[in-house]
Amino acid sequence: MTEFLIRRIIQSVLVLFLISLLSFALIHAAPGGPTKIYLSPSLSQEAAKVQAHNLGLDKPVPVQYFIWLGNMLKGDLGYTFKNHIAVGKILWPTVGHTMVLMGAAWLFSLVIAIPWGIYNSTRQYGLSDQTSNIIAYLGFAMPTFWFGIILQEYFALKHRWLPLSDMWTMGKEGNLADLFMHLVLPVTVLTLGFLASYSKYARASMLEVLDQDYIRTARAKGLKEGKVVFRHALRNALIPIITILGLDLSILVGGAALTESVFNWPGMGRLFVQMAVAREYSVLMAITLLVSVFVIIGNLFADILYAVVDPRVQLGRNGGTSS
Amino acid sequence: MSKKKWLTSFTAIALVGGLLVGCSGNKNNASSPSASASAPASQSASASPTASAAPAGPVDGGTITISTFSDIVNVNPLYVQDTASGDIQNLLYANLFDYDRNANVTVEPWSLATELPTVSADGKTYTIKLKSTPKWSDGQPVNADDLIYFINTVKNPAAGSPGISSFDKVDKLNKIDDQTVEIVLKQVYAPFLNALVTGIVPAHILKDVPLKDLQKNAYGIDPAKTVTNGPWKWTEWTQGQHITLDADPNYWGEKKPHIAKIIYKQYADQNTEVQAIIKGDTQMTEAIPVTQIEAVKKSANLSVILAPGPQYEYLGFNFKDANFPDKYSPFKGQKTRQAIAYAINRQGMVDNVLKGTGKLMNSPFLPGSWADPGDAATNYTYDAEKAKSLLKEDGWVAGKDGILAKDGHKFSFELQYNAGNSRREQVAAVIQQNLKDVGIEVTPKGIDFATWIDQNVTPGKFPALLLSWSLNNPDPDGESIFSSKYFPPTGQNSGWYKNTKLDDLWVKGQQTVDKTARAAIYKEIGKEISTDLPYVFLYQYGLPQVVDNATVHWADEDKPESTLAYGYLFHIINWWSDKK
Repeated sequence: MTEFLIRRIIQSVLVLFLISLLSFALIHAAPGGPTKIYLSPSLSQEAAKVQAHNLGLDKPVPVQYFIWLGNMLKGDLGYTFKNHIAVGKILWPTVGHTMVLMGAAWLFSLVIAIPWGIYNSTRQYGLSDQTSNIIAYLGFAMPTFWFGIILQEYFALKHRWLPLSDMWTMGKEGNLADLFMHLVLPVTVLTLGFLASYSKYARASMLEVLDQDYIRTARAKGLKEGKVVFRHALRNALIPIITILGLDLSILVGGAALTESVFNWPGMGRLFVQMAVAREYSVLMAITLLVSVFVIIGNLFADILYAVVDPRVQLGRNGGTSS
Repeated sequence: MSKKKWLTSFTAIALVGGLLVGCSGNKNNASSPSASASAPASQSASASPTASAAPAGPVDGGTITISTFSDIVNVNPLYVQDTASGDIQNLLYANLFDYDRNANVTVEPWSLATELPTVSADGKTYTIKLKSTPKWSDGQPVNADDLIYFINTVKNPAAGSPGISSFDKVDKLNKIDDQTVEIVLKQVYAPFLNALVTGIVPAHILKDVPLKDLQKNAYGIDPAKTVTNGPWKWTEWTQGQHITLDADPNYWGEKKPHIAKIIYKQYADQNTEVQAIIKGDTQMTEAIPVTQIEAVKKSANLSVILAPGPQYEYLGFNFKDANFPDKYSPFKGQKTRQAIAYAINRQGMVDNVLKGTGKLMNSPFLPGSWADPGDAATNYTYDAEKAKSLLKEDGWVAGKDGILAKDGHKFSFELQYNAGNSRREQVAAVIQQNLKDVGIEVTPKGIDFATWIDQNVTPGKFPALLLSWSLNNPDPDGESIFSSKYFPPTGQNSGWYKNTKLDDLWVKGQQTVDKTARAAIYKEIGKEISTDLPYVFLYQYGLPQVVDNATVHWADEDKPESTLAYGYLFHIINWWSDKK
């Protein structure tokens, strides 16, 4: 286990390094630049050049990369180019905001989706199963921003039951009841999206297990259906679900740029969009890496949980279950 | 699974990015054919329904929340170059001089100067007298040293200030006393007076900062370190969310602001801004999409201010052969360009696309301004037959596919604009159809704003484009965008247009101080440019401003002025709000 962990951590560092190299190159290959987006005769090309020089943007990209990497290793995320604000100062609050939103939506959808999927697997094509199918299709097919706008129109504009957007009412920052009210609409939108996939996974995973010989054996033994489902089937059915949850862990920080934009949620997804438009390379790099770290941790977590849930899986020399 | 999710969210990000860029293109494609003494004649009649005739008089202490879709970058007057930062600068800083409603340079109770500058007989020396009362928010007086430091820094290339072109004609600055400064120009330069409508910075805070570090300095970025001299002071900036300004209790002016708190709140895009003002979360938004006007009008308490603003849109030609696939610019014939002008239904665009915010333009001078050449400029009314005959005269003959050709070159070109700008999308489609009717094939192409500016507009590499200029400075001088001295990549004449008669006239316009004589020069320019057509000038257009007039009020003389840059905040010091 320890050996496995060490190996994985070394791998992860290498992967992160490659990700950083690749995304740095890609981001800088995109046309435009922080000082180039203002078109105005009053900004002469000379002035733009001087600005680029003063802001350190005229160095060759490889040099910029190593400067960036050096700072990163020292724990310094860098500064925005255009106004020299520490990236951390902008980034960390939005990480928290996104985790609140995504965490709430994620938990909420798991609490509904998994039991529901399990229930539906035992009553295939029943009313509840069909309903969940419809919801799943809707969840997959409906653009989240569109659904968000519909909810806003009804619940916030037509009837003024819920706030339209933002995380807090101005002046009520920190008030939990206020936060809750602001969470309702975006969480509903996000949950619909998650619900679709998670309930399908839970159902499919259960159905697969329920079809196994050992379940038939258990039934043949005369065990009660409840016992068959919960004791024997569920534990095995959870394994793929846990993998998926681990892999999806990055959702917590990756955010949902569209939902955050529609609901003006001050999170990381919205920040990423704003910063991409402004070509603020250091912020984009920091977000990319942070999400990568979560993806890697999620994978690792899934592997470990796998071993815990399924004793047949050994995390050893050849045992790293690739996911 | 997770890969697919990522792809989806990435596409989503790219999509939203495109939208946002489109919008910012809307606001940022600024230019100021730069400055000079006087200003557009009044258009105030055409501007704005009187939003809010409040029953009672001004009330002190209210709050106004203004929405925006882009965050500020830096409010230091040395470095402001985007609309959001400009908005906040206008609220935080007093200007040396201000504009009146008709864009004349004037002295207001809140201006730093005490009277209009006196100009020497040779037109080169401007003497500026400051009021003795202005103070910085740290209690220090605003004096001649601040003004001298500001101008010296702007004109020094090492500082990288975007304002350099307004001040690079300054030769030297003489301090006469603490309140008086003499500015000596290298040559007579009529637009200079408009350069003096500017905020300045505190020398005592910044004078020891090396110029190369000035843009990175906390001044202009950190509210606590940004010492200002206007009616409001900067209390808070939560990046990407909101900015809070509070009335400065120590503000020096005799006239104090009524509004106690201004919140400048950021939304993801203009559509979410519209929802927020309908909900009542905000009281004012500077610009909404034309397509949303009807939705907003349904709310009884909201008023939409519709009027043409200080910007115009144009169809720009490229005269350089290298920018076309067959190495041949089809736009070189004057008759061909005139034919295109006749073929395009500009009035139709004004009526159907701009919905009350637009007005036809025939020259680069705002209709109604003192430099407006009026009938001296050719007005191309929609006339497809005339267009066809002009094209024929110029040697274009229809090929088998119905598309015109000349010397083996097909009349077919790409029309570029910034993707996501819905107005330009619509207009490009109209142009495509109109020109198809006369045998010209147009392929509209939307490109991400930053990419487009960087790769096509600045280096002058495009066949034809749809873009606009913001006349954020009311001087009619347009040398830097039309003169052959300003070819790309260093200049703004991105279509490589050359007309020596115009080159000389623009210079003459800069060197003539007398306004009547200047107006005659611009009349001549208007006649020549509308005949020769470096662009097809399409229309002047405005951005619909929305105000909640149940809470925000002003007296009629203080209402917003759509024709001025930042005119949506015109005289905001005199506005009041019932919102607590």
